[in-house]
Amino acid sequence: MAKWGMVIDLDKCTACQACVIACQAENNIPNSDPEAARTGRNIHWMEMLPMVEEEYPHLRMRLMPRPCMHCEKPPCIKVCPVNATQISSEGIVGQINARCIGCRYCTTACPYTVKYFNWFKPKWPEVMEHQLNPDVQVRYIGVVEKCTFCHHRLQKGRDLARYEGRELGPDDYMPACVQTCPADAMYFGDLDNPKSSVAILSKSKRAFHLLEDLGTHPKVTYLSEGV
Amino acid sequence: MRATGVIIVLGILGIALAAGLVINYNLPLNMGDASPVQPIAFSHQLHAGDYEMPCLFCHRYTGVSRSAGIPDVELCKNCHLFVGRDKPEVKKLMGYWERREPIPWVKVHDLPDHAYFPHKMHINAEVACQVCHGDVASMAKIQRVASLKMGWCLNCHRSNNASIDCWTCHL
Repeated sequence: MAKWGMVIDLDKCTACQACVIACQAENNIPNSDPEAARTGRNIHWMEMLPMVEEEYPHLRMRLMPRPCMHCEKPPCIKVCPVNATQISSEGIVGQINARCIGCRYCTTACPYTVKYFNWFKPKWPEVMEHQLNPDVQVRYIGVVEKCTFCHHRLQKGRDLARYEGRELGPDDYMPACVQTCPADAMYFGDLDNPKSSVAILSKSKRAFHLLEDLGTHPKVTYLSEGV
Repeated sequence: MRATGVIIVLGILGIALAAGLVINYNLPLNMGDASPVQPIAFSHQLHAGDYEMPCLFCHRYTGVSRSAGIPDVELCKNCHLFVGRDKPEVKKLMGYWERREPIPWVKVHDLPDHAYFPHKMHINAEVACQVCHGDVASMAKIQRVASLKMGWCLNCHRSNNASIDCWTCHL
């Protein structure tokens, strides 16, 4: 059984935010709204975390792409009273929107704040209504949503591989953010396969995880050479 | 005396609640008409039963697409231009063809939007159409026989060693 994981090389990342846009387009996430941004109610499954270092004349700004960490021990699934968020046997943490009651325990429990509550009815400019992805459900007001590692692409890849009578290959399944990264800073694959690029890179000396000491065992690894 | 009355009322309420839950659990997903009136009285018994036409002859996209698809009017016309033109139901069909209108078939097997059901995967895994759709070849008027509830899906997935991860069906 595969364990899907991601590696983000911060030394290669140019912070162009193409992954953010690719994610919004792939997963039917409504456009950011300035009014909602003021109250922190915009939805970004993939977000750029800004880290400001030093002060003005020597100011350094670092940006860090932050998808869901797909923890091995996710704190969000422990608090869900209706089993709407669960971890699959392949390590993907997802959300069943039809089952979610919108209690927002999981948005509070997640230390990475990757869970987003739908405060508003999603809406798009009229011309964009026809470009919604038919493979992903449009979420409605009052439910929580999150990054799913684009697991609809896993289904499609598996469909195709079975149709062509072969095993699922490394190119069959890749989230939209990884596929779009122009700097090739993101890697995706099976952590259980010792030959995959993610398994090799996640053991590198440069590897670290976000909030490692919490014991959530994230499956998203960052690579960076020192500070 | 008062306390016994309260206990009896609570007991009756409890039993009613339990009975309601049991009934609700055993109801099918769709409580609507299992065999709605269709715009044309199409008989699967005649086509699939008596003439032994394979399902995929008309439902062509089943093996290659997410939805099985209803055959377009042109496909019906291709045969019925020559076959049974004097029958009243075929005249209705040719009326749709001449007006260039799609036939407003009523959907019988309707899954909720949050369930992802690809026909392709199931056909490629060699699940027979009859497992979910019943013995269509003996139905003069198509009707829903399966409950289409999640537990019903899961039973089949379990017995066939298919994935029962949430994200197999809820995308």
